[in-house]
Amino acid sequence: METIGVHVDGVSKRYAHRVKGEVYAARDVRLDVRPGEFLTLLGPSGCGKTTTLRMIAGYEKPDSGRVRFGGQDVTDLPANQRNIGFVFQNYALFPHLSVFENVAYGLRVRGQNDDVIRKSVGDVLTLVGLAGYEQQFSGQLSGGEQQRVALARAIVIRPRVLLFDEPLSNLDAKLRVQMRQEIRDLQRRLAITTVYVTHDQEEAMAVSDRIAVMHQGSVVQQGTAEDLYHRPASQFVAQFVGRMNLVAGRVAAIVGETVNIAALGTLISARSPPNGLAPGDPVQLIVRPEAIEVIRGDTGTLHATIVSRTFLGEKIEYLVRCEGEMLQIVRYNAGPGDLIPEGATVSLRFAADAVTVLTNTGVEGRGSE
Amino acid sequence: MSATGRWAAATMGMRNDPAVAAAVFVLWALLALFVVYPLAMLFVRVLTDHGGFTTAGLAAVLFDRHQLRAFRNSLLLALLVGSAGTVLGFLFAFTAARGRLPRGLLTAIDAAVLLPLVSPPFTTAIAMIFSFGPRGLITYDLLGLKGVTVYGLTSTLFSEVLTFFPIAYLTLRPLLAAIDSNVEGMAFSLGASRWRVFRTVTLPLTIPGLANAFLLLFAASLADFATPLILAGNNFPVLPTQAYLQITGLFDLRGGAALSFALLLPALAVFLLQRYWVSRRYYVTITGKGAGQTPFDSIAPGMRTVLLAACAVVALVVVYFYALLLYASLVVALGANHAFTLQHYRVIFTDGLKAIRDTLIIAGLAMPLGGLYGILLGYLVTKKSFAGRRTMELVSMINYALPGTIVGIAYLIAFNDPPLELTGTALIIIACYIFRYGPTGIRATVALLQQIDKSLEEASQGLGAGSGATFRRVTLPLIMPAFFAGLGVVFIRSMTAISATIFLVSISWTLITVKILENITELSLGPAAAFSVLVVAIVFVVIAIIGRVLRLFRAPGAVPMTSLLGG
Ligand SMILES: Nc1ncnc2c1ncn2[C@@H]1O[C@H](COP(=O)(O)OP(=O)(O)O)[C@@H](O)[C@H]1O
Ligand SMILES: [Mg+2]
Repeated sequence: METIGVHVDGVSKRYAHRVKGEVYAARDVRLDVRPGEFLTLLGPSGCGKTTTLRMIAGYEKPDSGRVRFGGQDVTDLPANQRNIGFVFQNYALFPHLSVFENVAYGLRVRGQNDDVIRKSVGDVLTLVGLAGYEQQFSGQLSGGEQQRVALARAIVIRPRVLLFDEPLSNLDAKLRVQMRQEIRDLQRRLAITTVYVTHDQEEAMAVSDRIAVMHQGSVVQQGTAEDLYHRPASQFVAQFVGRMNLVAGRVAAIVGETVNIAALGTLISARSPPNGLAPGDPVQLIVRPEAIEVIRGDTGTLHATIVSRTFLGEKIEYLVRCEGEMLQIVRYNAGPGDLIPEGATVSLRFAADAVTVLTNTGVEGRGSE
Repeated sequence: MSATGRWAAATMGMRNDPAVAAAVFVLWALLALFVVYPLAMLFVRVLTDHGGFTTAGLAAVLFDRHQLRAFRNSLLLALLVGSAGTVLGFLFAFTAARGRLPRGLLTAIDAAVLLPLVSPPFTTAIAMIFSFGPRGLITYDLLGLKGVTVYGLTSTLFSEVLTFFPIAYLTLRPLLAAIDSNVEGMAFSLGASRWRVFRTVTLPLTIPGLANAFLLLFAASLADFATPLILAGNNFPVLPTQAYLQITGLFDLRGGAALSFALLLPALAVFLLQRYWVSRRYYVTITGKGAGQTPFDSIAPGMRTVLLAACAVVALVVVYFYALLLYASLVVALGANHAFTLQHYRVIFTDGLKAIRDTLIIAGLAMPLGGLYGILLGYLVTKKSFAGRRTMELVSMINYALPGTIVGIAYLIAFNDPPLELTGTALIIIACYIFRYGPTGIRATVALLQQIDKSLEEASQGLGAGSGATFRRVTLPLIMPAFFAGLGVVFIRSMTAISATIFLVSISWTLITVKILENITELSLGPAAAFSVLVVAIVFVVIAIIGRVLRLFRAPGAVPMTSLLGG
């Protein structure tokens, strides 16, 4: 079967809320998932990820907007005619059927003959590492095994699109890391266009080709993990994807692609600032904890005091006070003797391309793509 | 732990705690007196003659062609009621659980379903006669049919199904609601049609519940004495009415006992099947649902209309029956003279006043005692380890599981002579109600306690509270909902039951339900209707009050009382 893209064109969905009246669970959501791509919807609980995914699946009908699979408009097509594979957080295995019959369900619906079913189910169970589990029932399986059955059941029908709704959140931390790798490998191998929902930014970065960050029903930024991390369009995205320090400042001068910002009592330079900045404009700087260099002693221009430190083996986290602001800093452990004591005075240095400038509109969280 | 070790630990636990030991002792004494002893006396009466063992009495019944027919009829009726009632209950449960109905409509369905559950016996039977009898509103007035007979299998079946299907509804609705809608949604996304999802997922997951509902209805019909007494007629004898007629008509206590004995076997089989087979076959489908998410829409719009229409028809029949009853209580003679009158109410509040007063006294006394009995026994068998704990629970269920006819006859035999001569007293009726309907409270208590974490009580005991103090301060407040629910059920049943207590009433103490039966046999249907309306009204008031009280305990496991009426 040809691989197709998924296109979500300005889809909205409203619900009646008991207190707030009509609320948008999804608002003018636009997504373009390329054929074979792994796209993740990332956002805090309640931001509309599930609603969006369910509209792609066909469980919900959008109030406005269209959903297309390749060239086909599927907006009015119910879920059972879209040829999708769906994996739920709670696995949703059929408790009255064996593992074999769970996986075989979609094939039986499609009227496949028994030989084909036996072979396909056997193959896919081997693929997910569950060969030999055919006759078990879901009650006898561990969480990880249940999730594998759910995965096998979704892919055995060779769906056009694979959809995951927080598939790993019922698993313990270690299994989660292992399973997300397996899901990623499987998706690569089968090259099925995939939309994946999670609220865990690390998981999103680990599995996705691209990530769409959602906030209050809208997609606020789309891009690769790197894009989002290094070029967040808003404070919300910066905060949600990784950790950050937020520093207020004012534009001092613009020199070509570089802008100098007066902040923390010194001048900090940043590259590729937003358009339309003029000297004197108030801005916010986003500085990632690992982008701040810590130098012992007060030789530099920007001085700070170590308030606390946490030794984590491979890295050391510091909390420092600098011009009345608290900053988080993460450094890789360079070896014995690298730990700076609490109360020590240090100098800080910001790498120029590691600082992101946001105008105050970006701070409101209404940043566009 | 070895058996002796367990015994040692158990007795030690009791020795440490004289309050528990005393409570267990008292409960065993009561169970022995009011459950085991009467049943044993029934066995003795049926199986002995002049001091020797004999099966002659039983054989006389079992090989009598007429009685054998009653036996077959009873089973046939129970089978049909079980099947039809389960189907009807499923229809309502499925529509309510999956139909995405507006709140008002759901309340309407619940109300229509609740009516038959809290009504005195004979109500549908009376309405059947009013509608389909020789001078029935429908058969005679509407269709102009003459000489029709309402008596027989069809109308008994119809009436019993209408009376008992709510039991199936109450069993099936929570089960359907608990099925994770993602499981159905999953099947749908795999390409199955809605009908196929229903057939291959929803229905198989409901089968244990359907089996359970069927057995409950089977048992209810098997034990039902009131409906066939009025509607079955001479050509369709069934066991409970035969037993009653044998005793009250032919004054043959032994023969009646033997007849009721024949009921014992199927009733026991149903009870054991339900307890040890069906209950183990429930699937665990509740797997943490997405909060506030729209569940899978398992009914297509056209189908929803069909289902709703079907429910509406049944609900309308129920409402029509009760409206008819109310109407009949307010006119001189339904079918003959439709002039408005309060005469029937005047009659029941004068001639019938004693029955009303007796019933209220008996129900009022049985209510708190039954509620107390329920939580005490439920608490002890769940939370305390003592020898014979499981046996105690099982024994406590006997009078509840047995058809009322058996219990009534057993009490009649057991308490007729000194030293335990209780016939003619209110005590015998109250005891009958406590031990027959208290078990609902026991089950509610057990269910509630099983949800409560053990650590709560351990924490209290760790703080130095004895088991009495822990029970009072920690456990009791937690199981208050079960107490009020159990108490409510005992009251409602005390107002509406007849099958056991018909054998226990006397000149000194009588009951409204018995009075209704007298009225029907004397063909004074007006007062019978007025009595029925009165009972329904009282019961609704009590349900409302207890519902209010239950709402005060917004405990997570609060028991909706009406769901306990299901059996
Ligand atoms: N069926 C529904 N009825 C009412 N509100 C809903 C419904 N489904 C979702 N919502 C609301 O829409 C918002 C988005 O929900 P959802 O898509 O489940 O978020 P997420 O998956 O990102 O946690 C939430 O505020 C939720 O309460
Ligand atoms: Mg969600």
